[in-house]
Amino acid sequence: MLFSQLKTGDKAKVIKLTGGKEFRKRVSEMGLVKGAVFRIKTIAPLGDPIEIEIKGYKLSIRKSEATNILVEKINYK
Amino acid sequence: MNIAFAGNPNVGKTAIINNIAGSNLKVGNWPGVTVEKKEATLILNGKQITLTDLPGVYSLSSYTIEERITRDFILDSEVDCIINVLDSTNLERNLYLTLLLMELEKPMIIALNMYDEFKKLGYKIDLEGFKNILGINIVPTSAIKKEGLDELIKQALNLKGRHSKLKYRLRYEGFIEDEIKNVVEKLKKENLQSKYPLRWIAIKLIEKDEYIIEKLRFETKKDLSTLAKDNIMRIEERFDEDSESVLTEIRYGIINGILKKVLKKPQKIASTITEKLDSIFINRVLGIPVFMFFMYFVFKFTFDGSAPFIDWIDGFINGYLAKYLSIALSNIVPGWLNSLLIDGVLGGVGVVLSFVPLMVFLYFFLALLEESGYMARAAFVMDKVMNSLGLNGKAFIPMILGFGCNVPAIYATRALENESDRKLVAVMVPFMSCGARLPIYALFTATFFLHHQALIVLSLYVIGIVIAFIVGLVLRKTSMFKAEKTPLLLELPPYRIPSLRILWISSWTRTKSFISKAGTVIALTMILIWGAIHLPINSTYETSFLARSAKVVTPLFKPAGFNNWQIVAAIIPGLIAKETVVGALAQTLNIEEESNQNNSSNFIQDTTKQLSELIDAFFNSFKAMFFNISQETFKLESISNKFKKRISQVMTPLSAYSFMVFMLLFIPCIVTLAAIKQEFGWKLMFFEIWLLIFISYIASVIVYQMGSLLYNFI
Repeated sequence: MLFSQLKTGDKAKVIKLTGGKEFRKRVSEMGLVKGAVFRIKTIAPLGDPIEIEIKGYKLSIRKSEATNILVEKINYK
Repeated sequence: MNIAFAGNPNVGKTAIINNIAGSNLKVGNWPGVTVEKKEATLILNGKQITLTDLPGVYSLSSYTIEERITRDFILDSEVDCIINVLDSTNLERNLYLTLLLMELEKPMIIALNMYDEFKKLGYKIDLEGFKNILGINIVPTSAIKKEGLDELIKQALNLKGRHSKLKYRLRYEGFIEDEIKNVVEKLKKENLQSKYPLRWIAIKLIEKDEYIIEKLRFETKKDLSTLAKDNIMRIEERFDEDSESVLTEIRYGIINGILKKVLKKPQKIASTITEKLDSIFINRVLGIPVFMFFMYFVFKFTFDGSAPFIDWIDGFINGYLAKYLSIALSNIVPGWLNSLLIDGVLGGVGVVLSFVPLMVFLYFFLALLEESGYMARAAFVMDKVMNSLGLNGKAFIPMILGFGCNVPAIYATRALENESDRKLVAVMVPFMSCGARLPIYALFTATFFLHHQALIVLSLYVIGIVIAFIVGLVLRKTSMFKAEKTPLLLELPPYRIPSLRILWISSWTRTKSFISKAGTVIALTMILIWGAIHLPINSTYETSFLARSAKVVTPLFKPAGFNNWQIVAAIIPGLIAKETVVGALAQTLNIEEESNQNNSSNFIQDTTKQLSELIDAFFNSFKAMFFNISQETFKLESISNKFKKRISQVMTPLSAYSFMVFMLLFIPCIVTLAAIKQEFGWKLMFFEIWLLIFISYIASVIVYQMGSLLYNFI
């Protein structure tokens, strides 16, 4: 599914990165590699960007950039 | 011996180097770019050591200037030891850079920083095991508490003896490692003569790093772009992904493996202070009000807090020192030289020094925002607003500071990451109407728009903002200010309480660099301006070079509505500081302002007065910051009736408005220009000068012509 379909509080796993070479490199180096699990923490007051928690730290990513990340939602209790 | 500090942003790297180097620290720029370089040379155990603080980076790819600087510095200069500073509370991402640094095969040790916090959070680490896996010495440190720093330096100094090839034990996953080895073999067969490690070259070839391939082509005269082609194909086939991503994943895989062995995370990390603060600071409803609140206080503290000190320095130099030096000189040198020394040279020094309190305050609060972790939140909250210009939310801060004074605003662009972003904001800052322009507005609004003063002044602020955004949008499309395509991936670091010492060192070293770098440009320009006003010798305001050239160019300003040479001549002294325009107008228009200068001179009395005023300045600064809610920076001064009358004889309301628009948009002052020069070089400074001259002229002509048309129409 698409990153944009996730809601605040959702936990998801990175399936694939699309988009340009530079984008993929940057995003994966910040820890969003295939298989990495992250959580949507919050959305900025003006609706963009989004704060996620990945590999134990917090990262802000713009919606337009996040569309290049394919994810799989993890259901947890 | 050269020691370089490398690490992610926000890991306390600067705090470590500050604590080791103290006042030896010097701030400059890396050659050719506007990335800040901190360096210190000191003698330890009888050895001379140079410490270099490399830019904080997450990776060593070729995409950003900071990463290239870090990597090239380590590869190309004689670094005897890299100290890799890690935030121990966030090892997983921090170790990614460590693996990349290890690929460079330079002597290295690890500072496991924030170790006190790490223990407090309940983490446990097997240090011996960790050292053994990496093959690198690890020193737990706490920069804030100054723990482990001596040990860190000791280890770094010890490393020098065992300089030659260190064997790091870490190897990558089998399949990839075999491919790397295969490329290394091929490189050996090519008989490649490079100063870089072969294994590193092999990895870069597999990653298809074009920058490195170019670099090697230059160094070895060999084209290696196709050497690893079949290796890349095999890797991409097996992992069904491009080779770069595969290597990134593999590194993170190794990190995971290591941490599973050595790190024990606490059962459950309790809701931290960061979580609690963020639930307010970046809250959907409260986020923006909180941002505005913080901006108000940074603005207030910076400008109102420094104002009493600025006034004191101004009075001390231009009142006290000028008075007694002038008396002392009057018998030795001719009058014109006395004036040159006092008004030109001493005045120039006075301008530079009067900015010192402002710079210290600004850098202090900027460092506080940065080090505490709030700066990243400001960027997060305001991102969407600045995004239209391709800037992130941090760009908001220089813009707001610009309303107080453009000079600190230019320096505040350091908060931005990209060079082209910084340049763009620096070009936009002078359009923000600073406090020094208010006396000009006060004069003309009091003369012509007495009942609508606030509205007229507000309209000028709005014009400045609108033009700044238009300029920003247009310039973004040009190659000089093109946005970098890197995505905005901003870390929101945990909130931390920065130590006062670190804040002080960081603001003072930056201020010192302002005095020496910008100071020379300012002092020289002051002498030039003095020459224009006071030469030829024994000339009056009417016969000076300034007046003569003003008379020549005045016809040019006819379309803008101010075609009196007296008005035009007042523009140039405004380059010293905008408020000087008012005084210059008084002189060109022959208005005798009642002088309240006390001519009696009692040296001892005056000296004690200066001292007691300095003490007052401390109290007033404190009072202005904490007990006074109103904003001193935006107060309009009162204007004498004689002055108003004289102005209304030479100008109309429309030409006065046109002149105010001109002064709003024209070159703010030489100090702002000197700041742009210091931060971005001559090229951008001259670009700014032409841009401001062009826009201020066009805008005032448009205002006047449109106004006249409307007037006739009605």
